[in-house]
Amino acid sequence: MAAEKPHLNLAVIGHIDHGKSTLVGRLMYEAGAVPAHVIEKYKAEAKEKGKESFAFAWVMDSLKEERERGITIDIAHKRFDTAKYYFTVVDCPGHRDFVKNMITGASQADAAILVVAAPDGVMAQTREHIFLSRTLGINQLIVAVNKMDAANYSEERYKEVVAQVSELLKMIGFKPKDIPFIPTSAFEGDNITKASENTPWYKGPVIMQALDDLKMPEKPDTLPLRIPVEDAYTISGIGTVPVGRVETGVMKKGDKVIFMPSGVEGEVKSIEMHHEEIPQAVPGDNIGWNVRGIGKSDVRRGDVCGLVSNPPTVADEFVGQIVVLQHPSAITAGYTPVFHAHTSQTACQLISLDKKLDPKSGQVKEENPTFIKAGDAAIVTIKPTKPMVMEPVKEIPQLGRFAIRDMGMTIAAGMCMSVKQK
Amino acid sequence: MGEVAAKMKVMPETIETDLNELKEKLRAAVPAGVEVYGEIVEEPVAFGLKALIVTIIVGDQEGGTEAVEEAFANVPGAENVQILELGRL
Repeated sequence: MAAEKPHLNLAVIGHIDHGKSTLVGRLMYEAGAVPAHVIEKYKAEAKEKGKESFAFAWVMDSLKEERERGITIDIAHKRFDTAKYYFTVVDCPGHRDFVKNMITGASQADAAILVVAAPDGVMAQTREHIFLSRTLGINQLIVAVNKMDAANYSEERYKEVVAQVSELLKMIGFKPKDIPFIPTSAFEGDNITKASENTPWYKGPVIMQALDDLKMPEKPDTLPLRIPVEDAYTISGIGTVPVGRVETGVMKKGDKVIFMPSGVEGEVKSIEMHHEEIPQAVPGDNIGWNVRGIGKSDVRRGDVCGLVSNPPTVADEFVGQIVVLQHPSAITAGYTPVFHAHTSQTACQLISLDKKLDPKSGQVKEENPTFIKAGDAAIVTIKPTKPMVMEPVKEIPQLGRFAIRDMGMTIAAGMCMSVKQK
Repeated sequence: MGEVAAKMKVMPETIETDLNELKEKLRAAVPAGVEVYGEIVEEPVAFGLKALIVTIIVGDQEGGTEAVEEAFANVPGAENVQILELGRL
């Protein structure tokens, strides 16, 4: 097998019906990631019917049909290759209640394609998704000004949409001049793999080129060791075995580790992944590790393992920037919902509302607001009701994000700006 | 409204938990409106411990994966439930 290309997780975001799914389908199709038997079936049918122009739509329908009949094996995982990278694609769900999964889930996106339909321009979810992608730590963006076919491939309309989106991005801290804005029609295939004749006025990169121009994110293995504990088991003949996924840093056999907030320490006796012993674990590894000197009841889900020399931070209070996604009324100081961060679920109180930010601009709109509501972004001070590990997003991004849940809904998403240690 | 596929990891309560029985119980616990896609797969973790990987399909709508996460977490023999990957179909 040839050496694997470097891997990037790609999120596709944007307003509903702006063509996200069509773009994902188009990328898969153009990159040759559609199974060979589907292409074969298509060729046979096209030959029989004497027409080839309906290729793309036909292939998408066939894939859907395969899925319904249970043929496609791994439906939650879409991948395709460009010249330089291989991508795993997440076509982000539209409903806000999935935001929790994007934050606490295993696959953090390295880059995003923001899809904005040219006829509509910026819509409510466009704004919300740009905010969220920033919260989720996505720093690399490609903007597809999509459905250009429905806007007569008008350069004027393209420029209007670019101006609208740039304005929004600038306020949130993105640099629009570093971001490619590509006029596309995912359905027709314009500017996906090669420059389209329909947009002779556009001289920038096509989507595939823009994907290859992305930079590899800095590897999290140079950060301090952090492994959120999913669970701890007692295994006869071995001892106590916590399991979890390495988020940052490297853990080696023999390391002295500490579990926070419990505070118990021990020495790593052995590490296993996929039932095989490994000398060291790196970010992304799903491992079980046996620690000398700890009992099963000393460690629990929500604890974070780090090195004794650089233990995980336990927050007495922390300051967070949040985006309120939905709430039936208003949020005031004293509100105590459940915070989902890494593997922990902890009730935390919003002890003060410090600043309300303008969601359209990101600028401070009000100091010490009396309430915040759906659609608002704010800086708030948060006090966990019991000890929990939280890290500033600037230092350890993987441990600095959270979702706020209440009444069975995802109320808000946020990131930790600073921590007052216990 | 579209559909969302989610790959979930269910950890057993102990290393002795009968995984075949757990698979059946998980299937029986699936709430209305949620579909288990294909087989529930055993994935080795460490020291003989195995996780169950379940792919589900839910509507892209209110509640998200909440109902199914809760239902699985309440199945006897299941210790915890985690979403590994998720995306629109």
